[in-house]
Parts: sequence; C-alpha cells; structure tokens
Amino acid sequence: MKSANKSPITAALLLGGALLSSAAIGAAPTAEWQWQLPPGFPQPAVPADNPMSAAKVELGRHLFYDKRLSGNGTTSCGTCHLQKLAFTDGKARATGSTGEHTARSAQHLANVAWNATYTWANPALTTLERQMLVPLFGDSPVEMGLNDGNKADVLARFKNDADYRQRFASVFSGETEPVTIDNIVKAIAAFQRTLISGDAKFDRYQNGTARLTASELRGKNLFFGEKAECFHCHGSFNFNDQTFHAKTRQVETPFHNTGLYNTDGQGAYPTSSQGIIEISGKPEDMGKYRAPSLRNVAVTAPYMHDGSIATLKEVIATYAAGGRKIKRGPDAGDGRKNPHKSELIGQIQLSRQEQTDLLNFLNTLTDRHFLKDPRYADPFAKHK
Amino acid sequence: MKKLFLTSALLAAMTASAQADEVEIAFALQAGAVPVSCSGAPMPLGKSTTPARLRDARFYVQNPRLIGTDGTETPIELSQNDWQSGAVALIDFEDATGGCDGNKDTNTRITGKVAPGHYVGLAFDVGVPPELNHSNPETAAAPLDIQSMAWNWQAGRKFMKIEMLPEGGIKRATDTTRIWTLHLGSTGCVGNPAKGDAVACTHPNRAPVRFKQFDPQRDKVVLDLQSLFADAELSKDRGGASGCMSALQDPECADLFPRLGLRLTDSAPGAGNAGQPLGLDVPPMFRKAPR
Repeated sequence: MKSANKSPITAALLLGGALLSSAAIGAAPTAEWQWQLPPGFPQPAVPADNPMSAAKVELGRHLFYDKRLSGNGTTSCGTCHLQKLAFTDGKARATGSTGEHTARSAQHLANVAWNATYTWANPALTTLERQMLVPLFGDSPVEMGLNDGNKADVLARFKNDADYRQRFASVFSGETEPVTIDNIVKAIAAFQRTLISGDAKFDRYQNGTARLTASELRGKNLFFGEKAECFHCHGSFNFNDQTFHAKTRQVETPFHNTGLYNTDGQGAYPTSSQGIIEISGKPEDMGKYRAPSLRNVAVTAPYMHDGSIATLKEVIATYAAGGRKIKRGPDAGDGRKNPHKSELIGQIQLSRQEQTDLLNFLNTLTDRHFLKDPRYADPFAKHK
Repeated sequence: MKKLFLTSALLAAMTASAQADEVEIAFALQAGAVPVSCSGAPMPLGKSTTPARLRDARFYVQNPRLIGTDGTETPIELSQNDWQSGAVALIDFEDATGGCDGNKDTNTRITGKVAPGHYVGLAFDVGVPPELNHSNPETAAAPLDIQSMAWNWQAGRKFMKIEMLPEGGIKRATDTTRIWTLHLGSTGCVGNPAKGDAVACTHPNRAPVRFKQFDPQRDKVVLDLQSLFADAELSKDRGGASGCMSALQDPECADLFPRLGLRLTDSAPGAGNAGQPLGLDVPPMFRKAPR
C-alpha cells in the first residue's frame, strides 16, 4: 500500500534523521509519531496494518512486561528478554512458563525493527507480528502457554483491568471490542520497533564524538578487513547481514553454517537444533543460522544459537580456528571440517594480540543508554 | 483451473437460489473396522501393533466437489458456519474426553449445496489453499482461527493433526516421550519481507482424494488409522520430531507420507517434486464405507 503522506518532517527528528517512507508496504507514521533515529539509521519498515503511535507503544511496553499474558500467569516477554542484557536472558536456552526448555537461546531485541527474518533460523517469519505467535501459542516447547482453551480467560484479565481497558480503547478506537490477541500482538510489536540501539562508543566514534583506543582501532580494522572478514556476515549499520528498512526493494536473507558441529563426520548438527534445514529440507541447509546483530554483544552471553560458547574470547578463538572441534561426548566431531560450513570461515591466523584487539573492538558496540533507557523499562518494577 | 472453479462456483451459486440439491458428506475415524474415539480403548496400531489411545484427530478439507458421469467436477458450495468458510471445512473427531486435550466440539460432516445433476463420485483435498494458509489465525474466519491448528513456525496451518498416546511411550535416543504426532502442512516456506508477511512454500503437501464411485447418501469417508500407521513404528522415534511434522529428513515422515498419498522428498536429485501428490486416486489413509 503506497503511502501518500507528504506532511513535513518536524524538527523533532534528530540530525540526519530518516526520510518519510513511501515504500510499498510502509505505513506512514501517524501525525503524532516521529521516529527518533540515530544518525545513519534508515527508517524502519512498518506493516500497513500496524502504524506506530506513542499510546500504542506504551500499551505494548506494559503488555511486554505483564505476566498476565502467560497462560499460568508466571511469565512475561520480559522474563526471557531483560533490558539490562539488551533483552536476552543470559542463558544458553530459555525456560518457558511451564518449565520446558527451548532448543535455542532467547535472542536480544536491539534493533529488531530492521530484521528481515526473525528467530535464529526461520525464513518464513518475516514480521514481528507473525513471529510473536510462536512464543505465545507454541506447544513444543510451551513458552507463554496460550492456547484455544485459555485465550478467553487471559483476555479477561486485561478486560477487567480499568487501566488496560482505557489504553486499548484509546489505541484501537472505533473497535467494539479492542482487547484481542491480535491487538496485543500489534501493541507489543510497536513497542519492539522502538527498541533502538545506536549510541555505543563505536557509534560516537563514527560521529566524531569519541575516540577509540589503539587496540580498539586495530580490532575495528580486523573486523572490517579481509583477514578476519567478520563484516561479511556482521556488517551493515546493525552488524548483521539481514536488514530490511522502509526503502528496501530486494531483501537478502542469508543463513550461515559456522562450523560449530559435525556429529556424523558428514556435517550433521545435533538433532535438537539443525538450522534452516528444519524448514527447507535441503541437505545443504544443515547447520545454517542467521547471523545476529553484534550490537551489545558484550552483554548477550552465552553465544551461538544454543549458547554453547560461553565467552566472547572463546567465540573469537573459534572463528580463528575456522570452527570448533569437540573431542568427547555425544556431540563430538570436527566442525572445522563441516562440508556445509560457510566458505567465509577459513582458518584465520589471528595472533593473541589480534584476538584481544577484536575483543576490545566488540566491547565498543555496547550501548549503555539502551540498557537503561526508561522508555524501554519495566513499568511494573518496584523502585529501588 | 482456479478460474474454472470460480466460474462453476458462481454458476452453482446462481442456480443454487433457483434450484440446488443439499448434500452432506459424512466422515468417520476408524482403526480398520473399529470406530475410534477419545475415550475408547487403545487400538493396536503400527508395524508392531502397539496399543495406542487417541489424543487428537482433526483435518482441513478444501474444495470438495462431486464428480459427474463424464468425469467433470462440480464444486459443493459449503454452508458458511463455524466449521466451514469459503471452500474450506474442518473435520474434528476429538472431543476433549479420555486422552484428548482439545475442545468438546466435534464435526464429522461437510454440508452444502450442489447444482442438480447425476453424480457418481467425490473429490476433495486435505489442506488449506495457499491464499488462506498463511492468513493470521487471530483474525481469520472460523474454522481457520483455531490456534492448535495453526502452524506458526511455518507461518501456516496444520492440514492434518493426528496425535496418539502409545502405551509404554515412544523410545528415543536419549529419552522416552508420550505423544506420537502427525502434523501435516506445507514446508520449505519462505517469507518475503518486502511484501509484508507474504509467504510461499516449496513443498505444498496437500493430499488429493478422488473416489470415482461415491454416493453421499450411502457412503461415508473413513480415515483409517490402522492404514495410516501401517508402516510406522509407534513405540519408537528415530529422529526429528516425536512422530512426523512433515520434515523431509524425519524418518517417521518417510513411513507416513506414502500413506497420505504424498511424496516427501524429491524422487530424484533436482526433480523438484517433494511435497507433490504421488498420483493415487485415494490415499491409503482413506477408504469408502457404508454409512
């Protein structure tokens, strides 16, 4: 749906702020909504049926942190997506509301507005709204534990809350019954689109307001150079390779095998999580995952789709070795020899100093303001 | 083909107001000749005739039509209600009793109207058409609004959801689990972010059914679990999901798909026919029986 909005950009936009979208799927910002984007960030694409508004974002923030959204009332989105960890949970795998474990790590949520696909390995989930139905209603594993049987009871919790009733009525004005799962999904998605991180030390260096140390600079040059080649998968303004914004015409959605496993000597990953082969069925898709954004990577340990690498130092060492060899146990195998491994993961001769420099550079991607910004915080948290 | 269908549907609709016959197709769930129910006794199923109770049995029927003497097909115009929307109907055998965990409502019939004529056969597909398959379950019309029939992970629907509880559980490499699952749906689904949440799937997995001889007043369609699980082993699972969730690499899917009348994987490298029908008139999982 083409946007015909030609209203002038107000001065509320930051320097270098985005142009109003006229993309095929873009929803024009409502009169009251203005994106506040870091310099160099393109305007996010927003589904036409879920335009942004301040009231919707605020409703979404409340719902994001509200345990009443889970079937048994014990878990909110915020339980596995903690702001101080850039909205991940510090664990290898997440635990759902009934105690079942996910196969993969909870992802961080910085800059999710620009993801082309969502989750670690699923080319079919291309909007926040569609992805959200998985943790809400999924039953293997159970995460938030909503189902056909308890949906009405869960909605009643919000209908019977005067504050929520007012918020829903105001945001979804004109709807006879605005408290629906679909509107909950829309509100939370709108909130998620505001989780924008672009004020790390690296960003300030880019904008000329901060300096990098000599080691950080060396690390940066390695990161963006043809020796370490990190930028191939972790490039872009968001340090990944699957970005989509209001003006994107053709979307790239690469997935990569980084040589973490080789359980059968022929490239197999553990059956608990094998990457996009689970969706496509193509043998060459074994072990292929989406390269996540490295923003705030210093606080999003443990690493990889299953949290199987505990520290950044070990991550760098693994890439330097061209993959991971596991000597013992049920997952033993030499991932370095995985036949489906990306050609970009060669054996990189990185000296100890170079690995330290890379680590120091990655630490410059932490945006301390994002981790504390009250606009993204838990409205139900007790004040300390 | 689609255009022809729509034109016929329009004609049928026009003549429906003037003159149309009511038609009802009855479905039944059985293990061989024995009716199956949620609270019924365990039935011997699978290669090892493992006693198993029912946990769920539901499937979508799309585009039901009657076959004339010359082979032409006339669509059944479905009555629109909570079980039928457009040309899609949900058959639901589970009633939340016994081992079943869904809801008490059941639906074992398809009802609608058809232009008067001399019909000898019945055809339908197990599935949801692509243009509806990826609709939002939270806003779609019934019966496409049921979350347990949604397959949010592949951004679509489960065309068929059959779940069994074999006695003794299902032994896997590292544990024993409880529920043996068949979830049939389109796979190889890829979204196009540039088109919102539009999704296209390379493996459709819609199972066509064609009874050349079928009289709705005398015959019913039987979903026969004994036949469906004839080549499967319900006491074990060798990999992937417990049972089969339509994944190409899942060994249990290789046992089930031929019984669904579907090709799981490419017939030869590069053939590109994974997820297409095998070309049978009636998949082994179905047969005709007297009402």
